[in-house]
Amino acid sequence: MRVYVVDNGGQWTHREWRVLKYLGVDTKIVPNDSPVSDLKEVDGLVLSGGAPRVGIDPEKMGKNGEYLDAFRGPILGICAGHQFMATHLGGAAAPAKVPEFGKSVVKVHEPDVLFEGLPDRFEVWESHNDEVTKIPPGFTALASSPNCSVQAMRHRDRPLFGLQFHPEVEHTQFGSDIFRNFLKVCENST
Amino acid sequence: MTFDAKALIVEQVEGIRKSVAGKAIIACSGGVDSTTAAVLASHALGDRLLAVYVDTGLMRKDETEDVARTLKELKVNHRILRAADEFFAALRGISDPEKKRVIIGNKFIELFEREAKTFGADSLVQGTIAPDWIESGGQLRDRIKTHHNVAGLPANMKLKLVEPLRDLYKDEVRTVARTLGVRVAERQPFPGPGLAVRIVGEVTPEKTVLVREASAIVEHEIEVAAKDKRVPLPWQYFAVLLPVQTVGVHGDLRVYGQTIAVRAVDSIDGMTATYSKIPHDVLDRISIRITNEVPGINRVVYDVSNKPPATIEWE
Repeated sequence: MRVYVVDNGGQWTHREWRVLKYLGVDTKIVPNDSPVSDLKEVDGLVLSGGAPRVGIDPEKMGKNGEYLDAFRGPILGICAGHQFMATHLGGAAAPAKVPEFGKSVVKVHEPDVLFEGLPDRFEVWESHNDEVTKIPPGFTALASSPNCSVQAMRHRDRPLFGLQFHPEVEHTQFGSDIFRNFLKVCENST
Repeated sequence: MTFDAKALIVEQVEGIRKSVAGKAIIACSGGVDSTTAAVLASHALGDRLLAVYVDTGLMRKDETEDVARTLKELKVNHRILRAADEFFAALRGISDPEKKRVIIGNKFIELFEREAKTFGADSLVQGTIAPDWIESGGQLRDRIKTHHNVAGLPANMKLKLVEPLRDLYKDEVRTVARTLGVRVAERQPFPGPGLAVRIVGEVTPEKTVLVREASAIVEHEIEVAAKDKRVPLPWQYFAVLLPVQTVGVHGDLRVYGQTIAVRAVDSIDGMTATYSKIPHDVLDRISIRITNEVPGINRVVYDVSNKPPATIEWE
């Protein structure tokens, strides 16, 4: 199975690559201006987090919008990737009232394949100034933390997932389980 | 799947052989990353490799002697440069942390280019690992801090850069080091710019002595506690000298002394970290020893920040 990581300039982009590699996936980090045609043989995409402020400088998100429109396989947006997914598909992102840095706890409200086998509360690591303030049409919010109401969302029909927290870092509990669940979705949709 | 150290060793020894046609020098600080890279390069190049260790004057206690012994044991062709005066002179009057890092990076390269010329090398091997280039930033990625071996390199550098550990994190490098029988495999990380980034503000030889002595106490006491199984050995543990003076009382006399911050964190890869829950009796002993044994320090504080939002080092 082949899952690529789209690099939006995150501190943890390379960690996403490492987690996927450890899960035995054929993976590669690609710049966020790679043409969609480079992704023909790819089974899934991770849109990484990054320094760009999605609401302020969306142009720094390169071709993420084209991937969301044209790529038919599963996509997992993380942090800035998640916020961009929301804004691009008709929702909104804005500076968070209370930005979160470091340790937090998420509560899963809606069971989903992404959280299969996980408890409904677990410890996660955050690093964000902005947040999703309105989920796009067709999406369901899945989880929240005390200071952020959309910690996870997914599209009801298409395999599009967004996470505000960072499943790729060592300190997030069940991080690789979340990736493993995402890979199951990738496997089932090929 | 887990990390396959043996495959990486074969792949990188081959890779170094391919990219270095002539001779190479390797920048070796004696830490896990550069020592591991030195052994890989030595396997690939034999006596076409020269390891260069620079005593910047910003090293930990007894470090230079220790590194010399390690390189000798590993049978790596090496040279020790003593350049403390040059580094202190270049850092005089500088208190901005990023400026300090860049000055140190440039100084390193100046010395390496000099050594490369004498040895006849056209390549520079470095033990750069993933967090070094990630945190140094570039293009979309923000610069968190200048790692001297990445963003400290001058644009006009003539040496060809070879970095066999670029895609690895510290835990993976340790696995490679263990496989290669490198004695320093479990050594705690130490920043390239050395104690310069553990002295907040201007670096002077006098301040360096204070932070070095305080760090030796922190290291000793935490290692003893870990050996007695009173605390798991943290990922990294050290002292930072703060530019903050506070009031104390010594023998019924007022003193106005300096402050040491103790930092200890738990991590796997250095990209996220939690502060270590060091028992109070251990912190107490560290505090008593530093304030009694290091002249001029009358206050010790413990840093309870995680990464993020803080970084592990203070600068």
